[in-house]
Amino acid sequence: MHRLPTLLSGIFLVFLTSWLGLVAYPALQLGRLTPVADADNGGSLPPTYGGQAIAGQRIYATEGCISCHSQQVRQTSITSSDVDRGWGARPSVARDYLRDSTAFLGSRRLGQDLTNVGVRRPDAKWHLIHLYHPSAVCEGSLMPCFSDLYLIRKIQGQRSNEALALTGDDAPQEGYEVVPTADAKNLVAYLLSLRHDYPLPEAPVKKIGAAK
Amino acid sequence: MSHHNLPHHHPAPGHEPVDNKAIDASVRLPVIILFGNAIHWLVIACLLSLVVSIKLIAPGFLGGISFLNYGRLAPMARDLMLYGWASQAAIGAGVWLMARLCGRPLGGGDGQGMGGMLLRTLIISATVLWNLAVLLGTLAIFAGYSTGVEWLEYPNWASAMLLLSFLLIGIWAVLLFDRRSNPRAEVAQWYLVAAFCWFPWVYGTANLLLTWKPVQASAQGPIQSWYCGSLLALWLLPVALASAYALLPRLLGCHMNRRHLSTLGFWMLLLLGGWNGMDRLIGGPVPAWMTSAGVVAGVLFLIPIIMISINLLGMPRNEVIVSASLPGRFLLMGLYALVIVGVIGALASLPDVSGAVRFTAFTEAKTQLWILGAISLPLFGVLYESLPQLLGRDCWCPVLSGRHYILTLVGLGMLVVLMLLGGLFTGLALADPTVSFLNITSYSYPFHLMECVAQLLLLIAMLTLGANITFALAGDYLLNKHNGK
Ligand code: HEC
Repeated sequence: MHRLPTLLSGIFLVFLTSWLGLVAYPALQLGRLTPVADADNGGSLPPTYGGQAIAGQRIYATEGCISCHSQQVRQTSITSSDVDRGWGARPSVARDYLRDSTAFLGSRRLGQDLTNVGVRRPDAKWHLIHLYHPSAVCEGSLMPCFSDLYLIRKIQGQRSNEALALTGDDAPQEGYEVVPTADAKNLVAYLLSLRHDYPLPEAPVKKIGAAK
Repeated sequence: MSHHNLPHHHPAPGHEPVDNKAIDASVRLPVIILFGNAIHWLVIACLLSLVVSIKLIAPGFLGGISFLNYGRLAPMARDLMLYGWASQAAIGAGVWLMARLCGRPLGGGDGQGMGGMLLRTLIISATVLWNLAVLLGTLAIFAGYSTGVEWLEYPNWASAMLLLSFLLIGIWAVLLFDRRSNPRAEVAQWYLVAAFCWFPWVYGTANLLLTWKPVQASAQGPIQSWYCGSLLALWLLPVALASAYALLPRLLGCHMNRRHLSTLGFWMLLLLGGWNGMDRLIGGPVPAWMTSAGVVAGVLFLIPIIMISINLLGMPRNEVIVSASLPGRFLLMGLYALVIVGVIGALASLPDVSGAVRFTAFTEAKTQLWILGAISLPLFGVLYESLPQLLGRDCWCPVLSGRHYILTLVGLGMLVVLMLLGGLFTGLALADPTVSFLNITSYSYPFHLMECVAQLLLLIAMLTLGANITFALAGDYLLNKHNGK
């Protein structure tokens, strides 16, 4: 081991073990998973995202939502609280991420897990207000305001039907309205598409719990 | 400040070692530039971390401005810590140690010829490139161009610049090993060769598969965890350990304890280091065998740590010498931090513990102790030891150095303890579905509040270091002026 080539080969071989197991194997095996047929409606699972949701994923990435939110439901003999909290009806499996450009698994839960937020909170209006000012719908929220994804503009003639229904301190001054930008609408479309409530062969659905 | 020189080994015929002064002269400028830049990024990273922690007690603080949002500042701070500070300082420490241990100046001959000049220019240019990549990558996250992959948020062109810059520097460090004057290499040299080979491999593979040409997302989880584990355990930690192996016995004037364990420790660390990150996915959407491997690796990782501790912490040391040597104390503290990291890591990879604390501040505590403890403390040690030798004079202000040492340890200790406790509380609450999620947030408030104090202490510590090195280098400038040139 005192000659460079010998040392390098040793290092290389030892290093190869974890590389093969954790990089090559996933890339070749998990990376080749395919969608499965959906028996109910002839489509495929996991369902494909619409164009808006795909664009929304970028916003999710660039705004760093992953610093506070995970997207993985665990269910093992030891950990059942994810399911008990209503964050999902079944554990997440690799195939669930098939349609994503990036797997936003996350490592911290300062906010809830979002794997199934579209099931739990199907209302786009709620999300639009929540992103604009989380405390408006959730007292004392730690989540930052993403008010930059909105425009505050003078009402031209009629009030836009996209304008947020804000009250109290959040409401803009008289004659103005707050409307979501395309980014905000895309992000919400992405959040609504986060629904992993369908069964997969390796992960059958057991029961749906209520959100807690 | 001590001035122990690394002694030379029995030279092989035709390989007479060169004077330490010539070696230092050959790497002086690149190493000083690397350390200097690393420290200013460290200060900025600590400032950002403070802002991030304030945002957890007052979400409205600097709010409503998109580029100052938590989701952008947190990755900026983390990446600055990893690439701006730790990796850059590790390159600096690695180059200096490699040249010293190999008894060879950079660029051959006495290091002052044409080859040496060219090489220094190349390395300095590569350093500029590195810092440009860090700066632009950080600004890109700031401006909303993050890739959204944890620890790899820099856009593709910035990560490509980082990799290129590393290759331009790292290859010389590895080549030095081939021309060393001691035929029987020391384990410190092995660690350095390994580290300098791993960074491009780890960083290159991870970027290739996650950001440059991403594989299907179903495969990304394990690769990402592998990257986080390997970056710490196979790139930064080996440099920190090389520093400890190379400097500690000499600084403390004693012999390594049970030398034969050092080789075994080296290979064990290599073998397990790559699996070390898998505890990030226990119970997650990966095949079951991978999480089992993560559990096993997390626990077994204690073995190389124990061997390394026997080698270096088991040395019969003279406390008077220890307390007189600041670099020695930094290196020792780094090793103690590593032992604690190992214990926390083993605990956190037990399925029961992981089930509760994996998504809480507990995990963050471990990461902080890795980066600021096991890795940064030894790097500070190298910095305090090398700069006086590179400049050829006592350059540190003892008061500032002492303050930096104490404040770093207190700030880091406080941060880690708070995060461990806070993580444990929130983890137990999260595991109990009858406790509402919003209640949990309010439980963690007191911890978040105190974490701000700890972050503030760390910021002050790093500002002290910044002032110290500024005076040290400015002193050189003033001295030169005084001498007429
Ligand atoms: C500082 C950490 C933080 C960041 C960054 C963050 N969130 Fe949150 N999020 C929270 C917290 C805390 C809650 C729980 C309180 C609430 O509902 O506001 C939450 C709740 C949510 C909810 C409601 C979940 C539910 O089950 O009710 C959604 C949806 C959400 N966040 C989406 C996002 C998106 C999208 C982003 C990125 C644009 C983001 N969050 C960034 C902390 C964060």
